[in-house]
Amino acid sequence: MKGFARRLAGQLARGLVMVWVVLTFTFVIISIMPGDPVRAEYENLLQQGYSPEQAEAQAAMLHRFRPTGSVFEQYVDYVGSLLRFDLGQSLYSRVDVATVLADAAKWTVIPVLLGTVLSFGLGVVVGVYAAIKRSSKLGDMLTMSGSLLRGIPDFVVGLLLASIFATLWPILPRQGAVNILYEPWTVEYVLSLGYHAILPVATYTISAYGGFILAMKSSVVTVLGDDFILAAELRGMKRSIIFRYIARNAILPLFTVFALSVAAVFSGAIFIERIFNYPGLGMLLIDSIGRRDITVMAGALLLITVAVIIANIVADLFYSVIDPRIRRAGDRV
Amino acid sequence: MTSGAPTGLSTTRGDLRRNFWRGVWRVLRRKPSRLLGVALMLMFVVMATAGPMLYQRPLPRDPDNFFAPPSLQHPFGTDFQGVDVLSLVVVGSRYVLLTAFITAVITVVLGTGIGLFAGFRRGRLDAVLMRITDINLTIPGLPILLVLSTVWQFASPWEMGLVLGLLGWGALARAVRSQTLSLRERGFIEAARGLGLSTPHIVFRELLPPIAPYIAMNLLMSLILAVWAQVGLFFLGVMPVIGENWGVMLNRAVFDFGAMTTAARLPYMLAPLLALLLLTVAIVLVVDAMDEVFNPRLREE
Repeated sequence: MKGFARRLAGQLARGLVMVWVVLTFTFVIISIMPGDPVRAEYENLLQQGYSPEQAEAQAAMLHRFRPTGSVFEQYVDYVGSLLRFDLGQSLYSRVDVATVLADAAKWTVIPVLLGTVLSFGLGVVVGVYAAIKRSSKLGDMLTMSGSLLRGIPDFVVGLLLASIFATLWPILPRQGAVNILYEPWTVEYVLSLGYHAILPVATYTISAYGGFILAMKSSVVTVLGDDFILAAELRGMKRSIIFRYIARNAILPLFTVFALSVAAVFSGAIFIERIFNYPGLGMLLIDSIGRRDITVMAGALLLITVAVIIANIVADLFYSVIDPRIRRAGDRV
Repeated sequence: MTSGAPTGLSTTRGDLRRNFWRGVWRVLRRKPSRLLGVALMLMFVVMATAGPMLYQRPLPRDPDNFFAPPSLQHPFGTDFQGVDVLSLVVVGSRYVLLTAFITAVITVVLGTGIGLFAGFRRGRLDAVLMRITDINLTIPGLPILLVLSTVWQFASPWEMGLVLGLLGWGALARAVRSQTLSLRERGFIEAARGLGLSTPHIVFRELLPPIAPYIAMNLLMSLILAVWAQVGLFFLGVMPVIGENWGVMLNRAVFDFGAMTTAARLPYMLAPLLALLLLTVAIVLVVDAMDEVFNPRLREE
């Protein structure tokens, strides 16, 4: 257990360094942005008749650093405000960035998780089958489908699905997350939510599926060669029981793949949300860049990176918990 | 007797080379799909180098034919100005392939260099380099690129390739490092060290050759990633939608010209998509062939 805690602490420290790298990157981008938006805001406020102090305070509230300070002071203010979880206000809607992000996050997190879980289930079942039938034509084809789908990026899957099911054979909606004419949380509203989520979730499922089937197949093939499977066969155990042995041992490495897959799908969501005009974090990032709403842009970038970093940390911890060799090696330290 | 030795050596080397090409040919011939992959690959290279020269600029317009459906004259129809879509694809291939090539080269040079250096030197520098590799691997490149595009437009393939390469070397560096770590304990490296050979000699003449096939495959795979990354970036439309590029075509088709709402305009979107898929398939097939060339254990007799 001590080894686990140590590993967790190490991962968290690494994650914090990465967050800091991203923060610094955004700060640099904002500072060198053409037209100096923070300064422009300040001058705009001055022209509106604010006193210099008021204008400075107002601009600082939006951006979290003073337009007139030195770069170093601005950087300290910027990082300091994030330590207090203050992300500033949207330049576009004057709403707190945290609120804007929370609104968008649910449209990304729920479909992404749903899609990845579906894909996981599908990939595991098909992967086991492909491994057992690996010398037959069907097994070969299933493996090929996995390699092929892994080679095709998510936005192409999205575009193809959209052109088939929304254009050529229009049975599914292509735009938005829900029909806005319905009152929230009536039956129609919920149905419409599900209806609009089909294409994005299907895209997430299909684009993550390739990775799962290939990982599961290779994992099952490894387990099949293990002595305990041979021993079970020699003892004349039922095939269904042996199958359970195989599946239970082979699925372990898949949890790591799952966490990494969530990370990949999460950043890939930018494309899917753009294609389906789905109001998630990716769409928010794109919109905020288009409007030069730099506070929201910085917040969305930060949240997406933090989500990806967390998924990576979880993947690493899964890996260490599942594989006893790594766990014990950690304990000895 | 003594004078025969050098000639004997050189013929073995020549034989080796001939055997290698014969092996390549045998591997290609066994699966016709691999020949197809090589042919497609050559086609794209010709398209990107010679293709843009075939058309006069600006591209000829057919003013009576906006959004024409596919026909013999325009196999993929025409765009909003009556420009042949196929010509747009051909002209756009140069940016796409050149960027992908630059990205792949930068990825391979950085990844191999950092991996070899960290694995061979080990110690504190290795730890630092691996932390940087971790960061490079974990932080998602796409959102970073999007934000970066607010201050940098990546107008030329060189800039785009440079940025994509700088974001993408992590996986290769880690793999090369772990291979270096295991190779440097092997007998032949120890022998080289015992002979007092210089470090550059050991690294480039002894360590690198056994890893080279792996790096070559990685070069091809990073071509695919680079193609999709840049096309995706332009497709999102965050960057100015200008220039001759498949991603720009996709963006226009989907978000400006309603390729998704009017079935008749689908060809405009499908043309660059088809080109992209063919290019991906070509690279995957070539990788499949290379895998077998370099990995004799995979050869099913």
